[in-house]
Amino acid sequence: MTLFEYIESRRDELLLAAAEHAFVVALCILIATIIGVGVGIAAYRRPRLAAFAIGTSGVFLTIPSFALLGLLIPLLGLGWGPTVVALVLYSLLPIVRNTIVGLNGVDGAVVEAGRGMGMSARRVMARVQLPLAWPVILTGIRVSTQMIIGIAAIAAYVAGPGLGNQIFDGLARLGSVNSLNAALAGTLGVILLALAFDLLYLVIRLVTTPGGLRA
Amino acid sequence: MSAERIRRLVAMPAGLAVVLGLLYLWVSGQELDSIERRTLNADYLVTRVTDHLWLTVLATVLVVAIAIPLGVLLSRPAARWLSPVVLALANLGQATPAIGLLVLLTMLFGVGFGIALAGLVLYAVLPVLRNTIVGIQQVDPALKEAARGMGMTRAQVLWRVELKLAIPVILAGLRTALVLAVGVATLATFVNAGGLGDLIVNGIKLNRTPVLVTGGVLTACIALLVDWVGGVAEEFLRPKGI
Repeated sequence: MTLFEYIESRRDELLLAAAEHAFVVALCILIATIIGVGVGIAAYRRPRLAAFAIGTSGVFLTIPSFALLGLLIPLLGLGWGPTVVALVLYSLLPIVRNTIVGLNGVDGAVVEAGRGMGMSARRVMARVQLPLAWPVILTGIRVSTQMIIGIAAIAAYVAGPGLGNQIFDGLARLGSVNSLNAALAGTLGVILLALAFDLLYLVIRLVTTPGGLRA
Repeated sequence: MSAERIRRLVAMPAGLAVVLGLLYLWVSGQELDSIERRTLNADYLVTRVTDHLWLTVLATVLVVAIAIPLGVLLSRPAARWLSPVVLALANLGQATPAIGLLVLLTMLFGVGFGIALAGLVLYAVLPVLRNTIVGIQQVDPALKEAARGMGMTRAQVLWRVELKLAIPVILAGLRTALVLAVGVATLATFVNAGGLGDLIVNGIKLNRTPVLVTGGVLTACIALLVDWVGGVAEEFLRPKGI
């Protein structure tokens, strides 16, 4: 059976795996963005806190994914639990770091002007600082996404969802007819998914960048 | 060196020593059954750690030996048209799941240490190559002009200006390679190449929490230690004045 025939014959199974993969990545990025941007806002004016936040999220990123997934099993069991927690922890560093860098890059005079117009600090953050820092933050989100799409494939070993299951199925049936096709379909699927997400970020960037910042 | 910097350098190994000490106390306080004793003994652990480090170091050396000269070549004017292609490839390579790459290599070429090593090198070579190219490209052209104007030959400009200024970026790439290699080496267990992944897999498959926790914590500590060594190397190998 060629790879093409394999994909044809298991189209539903593969599509479901790809959809699960995309869903778990999107979900984790959403959670990590909420946490990461929140931490960034809290830390960008406090250098010690910023160093601590970046250092801690850097430690998560250094721990090999397979080890972190394994360590989460005694706490969270198998399946979606360890997958989501591990992927969120891995996504944090680029988002936190870029939020801090982005917010620090906003011209102080613009913030002053907003305050002078009578906006509250909260409102200046929401209407001025965050929109101006958004392109930088979005770059961080994109880097995180690309990274965890690949890591999510390993989560299949702890009974997580997604295309990694194809790869491990192929490995488990090493030597049988479709083992190579399964591993290829899983690997290529992950790469295609990463390209699709990248395309999506191009669109998001175009749509969400404030008019004044567009080149 | 300032006290602050020394404190930062010492904090990580000290923290890791505490974590490993706690792990030892916890495991030695457990009543281990025969299955757990089969993996949680000095012999088994030392072999796995040595395999793991050996794989990591070998892969890093190969990556550096391949990626840095290649990056320098690709940044030469004659080959400059190639570098966007390589950068695009590097981005695509980043999206490739390490486990998929290892499994595919195994299916095509068989299991074992050599295949795991090849997988690690393939996986880590692209990011380091990208860093080298970017590091050399970002050297201010005015500086190169000035060096040429002072009468340096092209080779001298490369050695004494471009490479010197690119060292921080190249070192960052080396550190990235180390961390990637130590992480991907945990997956070597899936292609029968040993390493600390063995412990994690045993822990999961046999449902033995002490084995799983020992594997996970040991792997994490070694990765953090390797990253720390990379950080120290960055600190000390950087030319003065940059």
